[in-house]
Amino acid sequence: MDDGFAEYVAQRHLRLCRTAYLLARDWGTAEDLVQTALAKAWVAWRRIEGNPDPYVYRIIVNTHASWWRRRWRGEVPAESIPETADPRDPAAEVADQAAMWSAIGTLSPRQRAVVVLHYFEGRTLTQVADIVGCSLGAVKGQLSRALIRLRVDPDIQAMNLERVQR
Amino acid sequence: MRHTESDLRQFLTEFGQDPAGGEPSAHLDAIVRRGRRIRRTRRALTAGAAMAVAVTAAGLVNGLPAGPPRADKTSVAQRPADSAQVDPGPKLPASFPVVLGAEKFDLPLAYSQRFATMGVGRTVIFTPTSFSTGYKVVCDDPQAWVVIEGRGKGGEPSGTAGRCKTPVGGHHDQLSAPTDWLKHPQSLQIWVFPADASIFEAAKAVKDCKPTLKSKGCDENTVSSALRLPEVRERLSAEVGERPGNWAVGVYDRPAGAE
Repeated sequence: MDDGFAEYVAQRHLRLCRTAYLLARDWGTAEDLVQTALAKAWVAWRRIEGNPDPYVYRIIVNTHASWWRRRWRGEVPAESIPETADPRDPAAEVADQAAMWSAIGTLSPRQRAVVVLHYFEGRTLTQVADIVGCSLGAVKGQLSRALIRLRVDPDIQAMNLERVQR
Repeated sequence: MRHTESDLRQFLTEFGQDPAGGEPSAHLDAIVRRGRRIRRTRRALTAGAAMAVAVTAAGLVNGLPAGPPRADKTSVAQRPADSAQVDPGPKLPASFPVVLGAEKFDLPLAYSQRFATMGVGRTVIFTPTSFSTGYKVVCDDPQAWVVIEGRGKGGEPSGTAGRCKTPVGGHHDQLSAPTDWLKHPQSLQIWVFPADASIFEAAKAVKDCKPTLKSKGCDENTVSSALRLPEVRERLSAEVGERPGNWAVGVYDRPAGAE
């Protein structure tokens, strides 16, 4: 069975892995996530009409949420120490990015999916709603709460994102 | 605000790279193998679920709730299980008393089948274990009409009909059972009609409700006899249609090798 599946995998695998990494925050998990999603897509490949991307992304998002629910989260290792970095520190830029990365990690799987699909994948909110399987209003609500959370996060407040821009 | 949406967009683009610099490679073979495994698992689950549904829907366990089998469909009877009753449908007697001259004995319930609708014909299939096979129909409404059709010694149609309270049933023995009785599964065709079905009108329309030896005019004995006619049953089925109504059939038999 092929019907363009191999071509799709060859063309989209890397991009899917990057998206999965932003959701899972771990490359090993991301690759496993993508392989699982593509295996599920392979089973249904002949029934998929049109662009398979929304279908595959939906599997990735749902599978990630499923794994996230099963994962033990009693203690989450942090990449950065909780102390606020000095903005005048030469290493502040790296610390700022780490703080942002850490803050994104505090979002719920659904909020993270909305943020990643909209800002990384460039999907419209309507497309995001179709992928995550909820209404446009719900997506807007998730996105709004996610952005608020990112902005009010203590790490984010202390960082200097202007310096992140290059 | 400390940052903008474009900041977030750029940040995600930069972080969505493998820090080690190596790009993950696609393993198509592994993906397809995994897909095949998923498909096998799903098929196994589906088959298991279908089997569970079939066992439940068959509703052949005496006393257990049964999903209504579809009209005019053949149902395979099953041996009753030793499980608690949870459905208040009509209860089948545990045994079938037989009197053959001076010989008296009881046949235990061997198979049963429950139905939740009436007005349509049903075919019940069972495998006899002896020539002494009895069958009986019980209904929630004792005034309902029952018709049972089977085969006689030479394969000719043989059966009975009447109000469900009678009760309606029959019994084979070595002399009356078809010669191939034990060679393969046998069947009974059963119709149960509501008490208010236009039995008399249907009988008159088809047979003019002629009196029988047992009857005086067009009485219930006459229409019971008329119900044995396929034309009468077809007319009634078309008129009544399928409607709710619990009834059950029990097949009573000696254990294999007991004769």
